[in-house]
Amino acid sequence: MKKCLLCGQYFISKMSFLHLFSLPQKNCKSICDHCLKKFIHIPEKHCPICSGNLNQNKICSDCVNWQKIYGEKLIINHSVYLYNRAFHDLMVNYKRYGDYVLYAALQELCAKELSEYKADVYVPVPTSSEHIAQRQFDTITALYGSLVPLTNVLGKKSGLGAQGEKNRAERLRSKQSFFVKKNFTINFQKCTVLLLDDIYTTGRTLYHARDALAKIFPNAKISSFTLCR
Amino acid sequence: MENISHLAGRQWLSSQMDFSTKKGITKIKAIINDRCSRCNAKVWAKLPNGKRYCRECIGLGRVVEGDYLIRSGEKVNFPQTRNGGLTWDGKLTAQQEKIAKDLVQNYINKQNTLVHAVTGAGKTEMMFPLIAHCLAERKRCCIAAPRIDVVNELFSRLQMAFTKIRIGKYHGHEYREPGLEQLSICTTHQLLKFFHAFDLLIIDEADSFPYVQNPGLNFAANNALKNNGRMVYLTATPTKKLLKLVKIGKIQQLKLNRRFHGHLLPVPKEKLFLRPFLEGKRINPKLMQEISKVIKAKHPLLLFLPKIDLIKPYVSALKNEPEFKQVTIEGVHANDVQRIKKVDKFRRGQIQLLVTTTILERGVTFNHVWVIVVQADDKIYNTSSLVQIAGRVGRAKTDPTGLILFCYQKYTSSLRNAMKQIREMNK
Repeated sequence: MKKCLLCGQYFISKMSFLHLFSLPQKNCKSICDHCLKKFIHIPEKHCPICSGNLNQNKICSDCVNWQKIYGEKLIINHSVYLYNRAFHDLMVNYKRYGDYVLYAALQELCAKELSEYKADVYVPVPTSSEHIAQRQFDTITALYGSLVPLTNVLGKKSGLGAQGEKNRAERLRSKQSFFVKKNFTINFQKCTVLLLDDIYTTGRTLYHARDALAKIFPNAKISSFTLCR
Repeated sequence: MENISHLAGRQWLSSQMDFSTKKGITKIKAIINDRCSRCNAKVWAKLPNGKRYCRECIGLGRVVEGDYLIRSGEKVNFPQTRNGGLTWDGKLTAQQEKIAKDLVQNYINKQNTLVHAVTGAGKTEMMFPLIAHCLAERKRCCIAAPRIDVVNELFSRLQMAFTKIRIGKYHGHEYREPGLEQLSICTTHQLLKFFHAFDLLIIDEADSFPYVQNPGLNFAANNALKNNGRMVYLTATPTKKLLKLVKIGKIQQLKLNRRFHGHLLPVPKEKLFLRPFLEGKRINPKLMQEISKVIKAKHPLLLFLPKIDLIKPYVSALKNEPEFKQVTIEGVHANDVQRIKKVDKFRRGQIQLLVTTTILERGVTFNHVWVIVVQADDKIYNTSSLVQIAGRVGRAKTDPTGLILFCYQKYTSSLRNAMKQIREMNK
């Protein structure tokens, strides 16, 4: 019996015959089936560029707008879940209230999918130092740090306010706040880079992160991965 | 220095704002002996820096090891109001009057009280003289109820009775911090924000979820009350824990076993079923008979089911019955976005048969309604919820009787106790 990290109910994780006959493996289920059902995977038919919602067009309306700014240089983003009510509540608990241990639940939700996107370097999108001080942990590093080796090449200027507290227009207007840390010596030039973030909302953050990296390492192949879209 | 008189009787975290140097302020460690000082939950979760924090009450701001809980013991001076602001001109029945008087007397004697009154006894009205007495003494009073809809309903009833008093209403969907109202109505969770604030604290539906399963809320209620404050518990089905407190003399029990209209509680009928209630897509014919009897008697019917997942199959099975072609049937549950609309339609007679979960077990009144509980032996129905469900029937003065049918396959102790309680209250 385990206690669900999300709803606090006790539950028994499903067993299969394979489990019985294989070597003992890490079985760290921290979400009960009832809660798990509330999280919806990105549908089969999605925007090939950002994993977003598709209407009639080949790419989503967000990406059409990004095309106007970046032309062909769009960032390919992979997301796992739709950002629905259940995910919103989970992220509020994790980020706003600072319920750190939820990182384990979030890891379980995306570990398998993340392993499908291999890259030479994994770069977490940084959080401002004020936020880290307030929460006493870094939400992105806590989430992905034990799944893949992280390279903290990006930094973030402080005093700009959280993206989550802005509306759509304000988000899109927000200025570049990322920079490549000065004393960084690894050469990214021919690497494949996977940027890691939690939620892709407008894409503004990820494009800024990509731009900051691309400025210093113009030949790196950069794509991104987020939990939700 | 900032004026914090608006925080009288409140507690907050030093990480939120630290006024610990001010007069009248006390502070204690936020985590003591592995327990959260605000909600008393066992603390186990750790931040990367090794400090523990409380997950239980995290929605009110995270309690972290090393933080302090700051408490304001400042006094509030409330103005003198005539009759405690009570402007209600309704009349209590003789039995209600007696309870109301005893409540005031217990308040004067500094005695905690448990009011055990049947469903539909008019508990709220019986509180009016007590609340008025407390307010007239320029003391502070709070009523805590388990659910947001109950808080909203109580608020409008109290506002109509105490037109001269500004009443505070606080719950998770109000999005504002408690103020300094002399009389407040809130959800039990809000009590976590208070410390030694109230002279009188009334806990409504003291047997109900979430109050009963959550020891943290009991802890919060006790903390919110002043040292010499008085607690009043209201319930139709007292829990064992409360009865134990009565037994050892900590609380005095006041019983009211007549509804406001003076009639007895309708006693539920019980029926044993050997076959499943729903077989494939068909309702058990015996159950169908019972349902159709109610429909033919032209009474609106609440059909209770133990799980949300069952609502859909039952509704479609019922709609498929040829004899129900002309009957309007709907299903409702907690996550139903049309919940309020459907309940309203049922109340106005536009829905004849409403299939529901326990969300409609308490706090609602439908005239002439009859009730059938399917799978009454399911573990979701405890004694208190069965008594409450039965209490939906016969609430109107003009129609004090009606059918309550418990359908079961295996007789449970909850069923036995519920029947026993109802019969005892009728003695």
